[in-house]
Amino acid sequence: MQPATALLPSDDETRDNAAFEAIMWALSRPGAPRDLPQSGLAAVALSLIDGECRVFLGAKDEVPASIVAGTGATLGPPETADHAIMRLDEAGLADLPRLPAGSQLYPERGATIIAPATIGAGQRLRLSGPGIEGTRDLALGGIAPALWDLRARICAYPLGVELLLVDEARLVALPRSTRIEVL
Amino acid sequence: MSLAALTRPWADHSYGFLDASAKRELRRAMVKAIAVPGCQIPYASREVPMARGWGTGGLQVTLTLVNPRSVVKVIDQGADDSVNAASIRRFIARVSGAAQSCDTTEATLIQSRHRVPEERMTEDQILVLQVPNPEPLRPVEPDMSRARQMHADADYARLWLVLYEQIVRSGRVMQGASYPALVNGRHVMTPSPIPRWDLPKLHRARHLTILSAGREKRLFAVPPYTDVAPLVFDDIPFKVEDHGGLSCYRSGLSGYFMNEIPMEGGAIRHEVSDSELGAKAIRHAEASGDGPAPTWYSEGRFQHEPA
Repeated sequence: MQPATALLPSDDETRDNAAFEAIMWALSRPGAPRDLPQSGLAAVALSLIDGECRVFLGAKDEVPASIVAGTGATLGPPETADHAIMRLDEAGLADLPRLPAGSQLYPERGATIIAPATIGAGQRLRLSGPGIEGTRDLALGGIAPALWDLRARICAYPLGVELLLVDEARLVALPRSTRIEVL
Repeated sequence: MSLAALTRPWADHSYGFLDASAKRELRRAMVKAIAVPGCQIPYASREVPMARGWGTGGLQVTLTLVNPRSVVKVIDQGADDSVNAASIRRFIARVSGAAQSCDTTEATLIQSRHRVPEERMTEDQILVLQVPNPEPLRPVEPDMSRARQMHADADYARLWLVLYEQIVRSGRVMQGASYPALVNGRHVMTPSPIPRWDLPKLHRARHLTILSAGREKRLFAVPPYTDVAPLVFDDIPFKVEDHGGLSCYRSGLSGYFMNEIPMEGGAIRHEVSDSELGAKAIRHAEASGDGPAPTWYSEGRFQHEPA
């Protein structure tokens, strides 16, 4: 028996599904850009965040607080956040060490960070680790240079945080498993 | 924030069966699973219209990833046409509108129980393995909290002890399926009950593998190009099943993983376990289709790079 209704995804479902497909492959191939269904940080955030999340919103100009609150997520300080929407400029870096990085017992409690960046221009990086055959070179701009030292200190594998970097409708991910050499 | 503001408009169905919040929770678990390869990530494991233990974990991952452009293949012990595989495949197609296929090369999303296809998987394919027991330490440490501490300490000595005892008692490693493997040099995982034959296919593979246990409510992942090293002793190398010399009585294929079929009078014959591989070979012999795509094994030997 065929169902009476056409099984078509809603617009929100289509966006969240496509955004997560981009996130999943971006994490599986760190440093390789993926296309997002729409421009901006909101699409990435909406595919992951809902009422069970605690979000640190450090970049209100990128994603309005009303959008995050509309998912049912609790807005709060970095210390209790499982997701952070923030800038990785000089000011934003002060909040980075305050985010949870998980523990040896519960590595999954490390935060997921959604941040704007410029892909393809700026600091050159050489990535290696899971998802990368040999090494992969990547240039990232719009990020404070101090991030890379700070990330290396925070990401003591398997502890660490995931960086989901959004440049308009493109996404690059740097999971904690990726080793980064600053060129 | 008021209740009215959090209420979504009424809809007559949830696309892909699971509701949006269940999918987000699975997505968050998958983000961490890919970021920490081989580490078991807990998730809520919703109800699906299937008994736990029959592939609900794999099904939930598939239902989260599926979209109308997906091509879905479901494998049960190598076969596409068993009741379990056919039912799961039809269910996924019914709730998502995705296309169904038995062809490994055509599928974008492959959900499997206990086998990895013989044909090489490619960069944009996802393998979802159904896992009955995600905890490699369970046979040696039934207490989940202590097992978690052992994972935290990377204390896997007892798994080597199990292998050692098998060698002492039987003269060889008796672990047939679920062979423990160290992922990315840090976490030991059980690769679900795939035979030893299939384990090398996960090492530095091109595709993404997600392993999900619905009853045990945990999932873990092996991203592409990730080290998957079976636990071995320096002087006793890892060996796959000795199936290189067997040939399939139906398709004539040889050098692949075979099912043993007992015959009357105690005789046995063999049938290739990957059913679509056999069907392709038969169609090719009858000149009604292309032969199998490049496979991981050639003449019974594993080859990391295609010949």
